[in-house]
Amino acid sequence: MLQLFLIAFRNLGTHRRRTLLLGGAIAGVTALLVVLMGLSTGMKDTMLRSATTLATGHVNVGGFYKVTAGQSAPVVTGYPKIIEQVRKDVPELDYVVQRGRGWVKVVSEVASAQVGLGGIDVEAEPGIRKVLQMKEGSLDGLKEPDTVLLFEKQAKRLEVKVGDTVTLSAPTMRGTNNTVDVRVAAIAANVGLMSDFNIFVPNSTLRSLYQLKDDTTGAIYLYLKDVSQVPAVQARLRQTLAAAGHEVMDNDPRAFWMKFEVVNREGWTGQKLDITNWEDEISFINWTLTALNGLTGVLIFVLLVIICVGIMNTLWIAIRERTREIGTLRAIGMQRTRVLAMFVFEALTLGLLGTLAGALFGLVVCLSINAADVAVPEVVAVFIMSEKLNLAVNPGSVVGAMLFITACTTAISLIPSFLAARMKPVTAMHHIG
Amino acid sequence: MTKDYTLGKVVVPALRGVDLQVHPGEFISIAGPSGSGKTTLLNLIGCVDTATTGVVSVAGQDTKLLSERQLTHLRLHTIGFIFQSFNLVSVLTVFQNVEFPLLLQRKLDKAQRRERVMQLLEQVGLANHAKHRPNELSGGQRQRVAVARALVTRPQLVLADEPTANLDSVTGQHIIDLMKELNQKEGTTFIFSTHDAKVMNHANAVWRLADGKILDRLSASEAQRAMASGSH
Repeated sequence: MLQLFLIAFRNLGTHRRRTLLLGGAIAGVTALLVVLMGLSTGMKDTMLRSATTLATGHVNVGGFYKVTAGQSAPVVTGYPKIIEQVRKDVPELDYVVQRGRGWVKVVSEVASAQVGLGGIDVEAEPGIRKVLQMKEGSLDGLKEPDTVLLFEKQAKRLEVKVGDTVTLSAPTMRGTNNTVDVRVAAIAANVGLMSDFNIFVPNSTLRSLYQLKDDTTGAIYLYLKDVSQVPAVQARLRQTLAAAGHEVMDNDPRAFWMKFEVVNREGWTGQKLDITNWEDEISFINWTLTALNGLTGVLIFVLLVIICVGIMNTLWIAIRERTREIGTLRAIGMQRTRVLAMFVFEALTLGLLGTLAGALFGLVVCLSINAADVAVPEVVAVFIMSEKLNLAVNPGSVVGAMLFITACTTAISLIPSFLAARMKPVTAMHHIG
Repeated sequence: MTKDYTLGKVVVPALRGVDLQVHPGEFISIAGPSGSGKTTLLNLIGCVDTATTGVVSVAGQDTKLLSERQLTHLRLHTIGFIFQSFNLVSVLTVFQNVEFPLLLQRKLDKAQRRERVMQLLEQVGLANHAKHRPNELSGGQRQRVAVARALVTRPQLVLADEPTANLDSVTGQHIIDLMKELNQKEGTTFIFSTHDAKVMNHANAVWRLADGKILDRLSASEAQRAMASGSH
């Protein structure tokens, strides 16, 4: 076998130009795949980090309370008891927070905007400080009641700065409108789409605006030590909360604000809990990832087809050139399987070397882009929730990409290799004349 | 035996009823003009092709009854080949070319293989060229490598198709001398084709072929006289 590898390796070396051309193409596709995967994973990481800090936990216990059948509010009543049960039922828990949430009109002296409202207890939220970068003011300003954190773009639109006052206006659970004046305590740097329609106030302010009781909140956000445990925790909570006597809504993998219409159409009243995960809550922008992955798939498929045709052609040429060698080797006693192996090894060696070079190049590109702190256009930043391009390279995925492309190039080489192996020794030698 | 080739709708007879027997240790030449069927006959004896009719028996085995895999096995263990154009693997060194059949056989360990290959290379006078590639050798040296490769597995039978055709007369003479020497030392049976009277002079017997038929079996001197008189 070693000898067959040696023959394959040296044959590649003998036809240097051909090998470099084809190996370069394989390396190029691998590098492209590594970069695109890095982009996709980076986007997902950024979205996960930003979304799970600003708008959702890894797993959420939210829900709706309906005073009448047609009027719902996105609140969870009696949340302390639920948090207590969550701590008991979820050993995977890193930490848990509760946040009020709603939809308000924010009005300044010159403009207004409809935004999602988050009620936070700054001291209980370790994650939010890691994600939000303050452009003006301080996050600690939210420790005081009747304050608000805006994002840069909103502040610009409303033409306000730290210290200015804006008015929040929202309908209460009973259908009457309520307003509260809040002081701008901090202005944070934009974090993509989330910063377009999210503002934060202290939980006490939110309760006062919506006239909620102290044991009522918007949702309970669970942050896990290991994100891969999300499905298991979600499924377990559905069971344990139902078993504890709570009404739990059927699984609907959408953001809470997309469910009002459905919930308002249903005839029930009172409290129902809704167990969602972070992907559900940002499902409305998840399509960007799906689109990127789809585009990556199509692009890689097309390039792979081109490469496979190239590999096949190259092997055809190699086989034509080496018909005499095949005949000789068969004559001196080489079995067909070994002739097959010899040509497959050639494609395998080319594939391995090409993908290795491509993966290394792709890694260098990813690291360089990260190091260069490349700013993305605003329209892209909206979807990736970051103003900077972040490519996250997963070693397992890189190895997977290498193996996948090598497997494709090797598999396609089976066709000409098989035909070479089927050649009769006398035919192969006769071909020479 | 007979052998027909089909070219489109035309059937071309290459051998038209050949019957011969070769005994162990013989050094036989097959002579005849181009197109007389020498190569076809060697191909059939070497089990790289099959006869249209008749039986080819090598080392007591009827080759018609063997599968492709068994035929390959028979070639590997029983027959050595020397080709007109040397047919060495260009990307392997001299040592690796000679070692190759032993690797296919998987009988010897690395040290044993090395010993056997070096012994053969010594015999053919190329021990100092073991690390060279074929393209770094002269034609005569390449053919000597081919001889070493053919003999490395200690085959009972060596088939050589015009082994001197691509060599100058002096080098060709050396190759034939070498083959003869190995035939006498190792007792290996050699069958080689040639149309060179000087080369067939070394053979114990010469089978003369014409138009796919064996004309006669002659001694070397008889064959040379016959060639000189131009008779078929």
